[in-house]
Amino acid sequence: MKLSDTVMGGLLLVLAAAIGIYVSGFPRMPGQNYGAALFPGLIAAGLAACGALLLARGLRAKAPAFEFAPWTRAAPLAANFALVCGALLFYIFAAETLGFMATGSLLLLALFLKLGVRPLSATVVAVVAALVFHLLFYKLLRVPLPWGILQFMAGW
Amino acid sequence: MADIATAFGMVFQPYTLSVILLSAAFGLLVGAIPGLTATMATALLVPVTFFMPPVPAIAAIVTATAMAIFSGDIPGALMRIPGTPASAAYTDESYAMTRKGQAETVLGADLAFSVIGGLFGTVVLVLSAPQLAEIALKFSSFEYFWLVLLGLSSAVMITVGDPLKGVVSLLLGLLISAIGLDNPAAYPRFTFGSIELLGSVGLIPMMIGMFAISEILRFAVEPQAKAQIFKKQIGNVFRGLWGLFRRYRLQALRGSVLGTVVGALPGAGADIAAWMAYAVSKKLSREPEKFGTGHVEGIVEAGAANNSALAGAWIPALVFGIPGDSITAIVIGVLYIKGMNPGPMIFINHPENIYAVFIVFFLANLLMIPFGWVAIKAAKRILHIPRNILMPIILLFCVVGSFAINNTVFAVSVILVFGLAGYFMEENGYPVAPAILGVILGSMLEENFISSMIKSDGRLLAFFERPIAAGLGILTLLIWFWPLASRGLRTVSRTRT
Amino acid sequence: MLKLVSRFAWTMFAAALAASSAFAAYPDRPITLIVPWGAGGGTDATARIIGSLLEKELGQPVNVVNRTGGSGVVGHSAIAQGAPDGYTLGLITVEIGMMHWQGLTELTGASYTPLGLVNADPAGVQVRADAPYKNLGDLLAAIKANPGKFKASGTGQGGIWHLAIAGMLKDLKIDPASVPWVPSNGAAPGLQDMVAGGVEIVPCSLPEARSLIDAGKVKSLAIMDAHPSGLYPDVPTLKQAAGSDWTMAAWRGMVAPKGIPNDVRNHLATAIKKVYDSKAYKDFMSSRGYGVIYLPPEEFAKFMAKSSNDLGATMKAVGIVK
Repeated sequence: MKLSDTVMGGLLLVLAAAIGIYVSGFPRMPGQNYGAALFPGLIAAGLAACGALLLARGLRAKAPAFEFAPWTRAAPLAANFALVCGALLFYIFAAETLGFMATGSLLLLALFLKLGVRPLSATVVAVVAALVFHLLFYKLLRVPLPWGILQFMAGW
Repeated sequence: MADIATAFGMVFQPYTLSVILLSAAFGLLVGAIPGLTATMATALLVPVTFFMPPVPAIAAIVTATAMAIFSGDIPGALMRIPGTPASAAYTDESYAMTRKGQAETVLGADLAFSVIGGLFGTVVLVLSAPQLAEIALKFSSFEYFWLVLLGLSSAVMITVGDPLKGVVSLLLGLLISAIGLDNPAAYPRFTFGSIELLGSVGLIPMMIGMFAISEILRFAVEPQAKAQIFKKQIGNVFRGLWGLFRRYRLQALRGSVLGTVVGALPGAGADIAAWMAYAVSKKLSREPEKFGTGHVEGIVEAGAANNSALAGAWIPALVFGIPGDSITAIVIGVLYIKGMNPGPMIFINHPENIYAVFIVFFLANLLMIPFGWVAIKAAKRILHIPRNILMPIILLFCVVGSFAINNTVFAVSVILVFGLAGYFMEENGYPVAPAILGVILGSMLEENFISSMIKSDGRLLAFFERPIAAGLGILTLLIWFWPLASRGLRTVSRTRT
Repeated sequence: MLKLVSRFAWTMFAAALAASSAFAAYPDRPITLIVPWGAGGGTDATARIIGSLLEKELGQPVNVVNRTGGSGVVGHSAIAQGAPDGYTLGLITVEIGMMHWQGLTELTGASYTPLGLVNADPAGVQVRADAPYKNLGDLLAAIKANPGKFKASGTGQGGIWHLAIAGMLKDLKIDPASVPWVPSNGAAPGLQDMVAGGVEIVPCSLPEARSLIDAGKVKSLAIMDAHPSGLYPDVPTLKQAAGSDWTMAAWRGMVAPKGIPNDVRNHLATAIKKVYDSKAYKDFMSSRGYGVIYLPPEEFAKFMAKSSNDLGATMKAVGIVK
């Protein structure tokens, strides 16, 4: 989605105002004239200035306010986009319960199949890749990846 | 002389040499994995070094970190995932070169100029550590404040296209750095009750999201697009390097000097050095318009800078026990455990150990050539993997890499959010690199600004009262207002003639 | 083929059941040791030596994991939220008794299963080596003569060293506000700033200032402890230097999440005591200059409660919390 400078400038002004209101409630440091609000306040001022410049420029240029990329109208491509996001969400919610190896294999398998990899090679690559990742990170680099349903293998 | 001979004997013995070789391979691996930094490599080595004599213990860390900073360039060039924050400055440039079919050229340049930078930094470390450390100790919050502002200016300088959009991106980065509890007032900001957000979003997951996840999203929606097609790779790792070196020797030298100096300043490390060097390179280049299109010049300068910074960071660490970066913070601990207490006396009490460390520095940088060559050869194969298999694997790689930093799935949500944000920003012509620099420098900027204001009781003039601060301040203001001033001068001279 | 797969699956399932029901002797898999502070700091170093020694005691790998950010809140919460099965441990620090007063978390020392206190480092009073004060008395006189002129640094706002100097001044009947605090991201940047001439006092622990003291850039005027330090026995205690009984120290202790089985707790507490008594631990700590002190679980719990009350009283007195 492409936004014109006018819209973007407007959004930045709203963001700057929101930050300004939010930080105005921050307390000062005891015994100091400065506090947690100063730095974000300055950033908000900078964003407001940039927003105003963009707004002014956008009004002169008169570009269309919104423009959607061609893929948003092609269902398979939009589905690809959603699937990548969905895969990450799936990992976030399932990793702890299912464990890394199961979650990782499923995540890979779904993406492979959607992107047109043949089912047999997709399955093999998904399982092998997850296993290799697990060995590399868990054994060699000591990253405590979750075991999940495969907990019984942890002692091996 | 006898000490130097002893030192050679300590390094060139089977045990130390095998430790060096193993840690070289380890460093290459860790650096090439996004999410695992050179600092992480050092932390993982510490328990192993407990059981080693001093020289191999230090050698393991020196070798692993030098390799890691170099190999962080590899996934950046091949997959647009900076392996360590020190590679983020020129990730887009190297990725553009790979797309043009020059993966081996850019990786060869990364390698060669990493070696040159590393060797340069080592020479400075050997020759003038005590003197440079004295200067580094003169930096108080006033000097750092100006240094950080200088660093921030580089974000705008390297922006390709619309500078205003670069500034917006930078400000958004600074805003993100303000999230959390780690601010001078120790007051939770923008956390909305989340415990995880108290620790901010984290630079590395954000970086992985904005560079790599946004690239995967782009592939997902435009699998056949031009940008996804990689030209047939030409060249050999070392071919044309001599030409590059002759052409860009000034850039290599400048990057090495800048890197060593920034590295020697406590708190500023290889990442900041790379950004500043890349910006200087573009600013002073004869062909600045080529930057961002897959041009090797800035990579030469920044690649030299981040490796020389690594050696530079040892200067205050060895001389005063003040860490030059997060790696040397760990090293100082190891030095104490090994009875090589840092301080000016280290050069007198343990000359043979110090010489051995210096020899290891040289050796590690030279070993980078064969190890790097093999690593590039092996890594380049991933370009032959079909994209529909490679992209999901990269996605999983990003998930594990971001998880590894803090061992929490929160980081995975961060890469998703910033992947979407990065995709949206680039779609609209907003560069993501300045936002990342904003996050790197944001907390340093605020901390040094607030400390300076407290120390000077709010007098702004105090920012110019110390000699180095005044110099840096005037330099910063000159760079900022030079375009205005020069335009003014031109108008004046035009009206005269 | 299918038969083979299903037989394999059943075997796996049976194995899983066996593993979960039979409770193999603790520990039968790797243990995670969470550190609420970053790699390179003293807490990280302490955790890594304890981890590598504990590994030998328990016969399973001990992975040290840094959960940083939020001035320690994030990591302390992660430890408390870990599964109470003995496979998640943590090295908590003095901040656990401070954060809850500031309203940052509900957690206190009582939110954990204490396993043993392993270290404490008292605060010192450090100034530049070329500063004109020969002893703490000179410095205090100068502070009284010019309130607000002397700035101090070394931790964040309301951090442990901030409380150390504020509490010391209060105990000496000097207004704590007469030494304004400059927040810094730890002792090293604070010391750097002091050497560069930015601030005058850094009340951090002696091991943190050690390299600069040895380099002749910094001197220590007093230590806020009842006994002189092993690292610098010549530095006077606060009692000797100014007649104050004020003490303050940063401590570290091993804990597990609340509610772990008693036998696991005893197993761990014994192992940690063994680690503490080992020569490797003592050598490591003395080479880093860190103080060693041990308290068994019950006394560690009482110690944490007292520490929290003392810190809360100081924070209220100096106006950091209402």
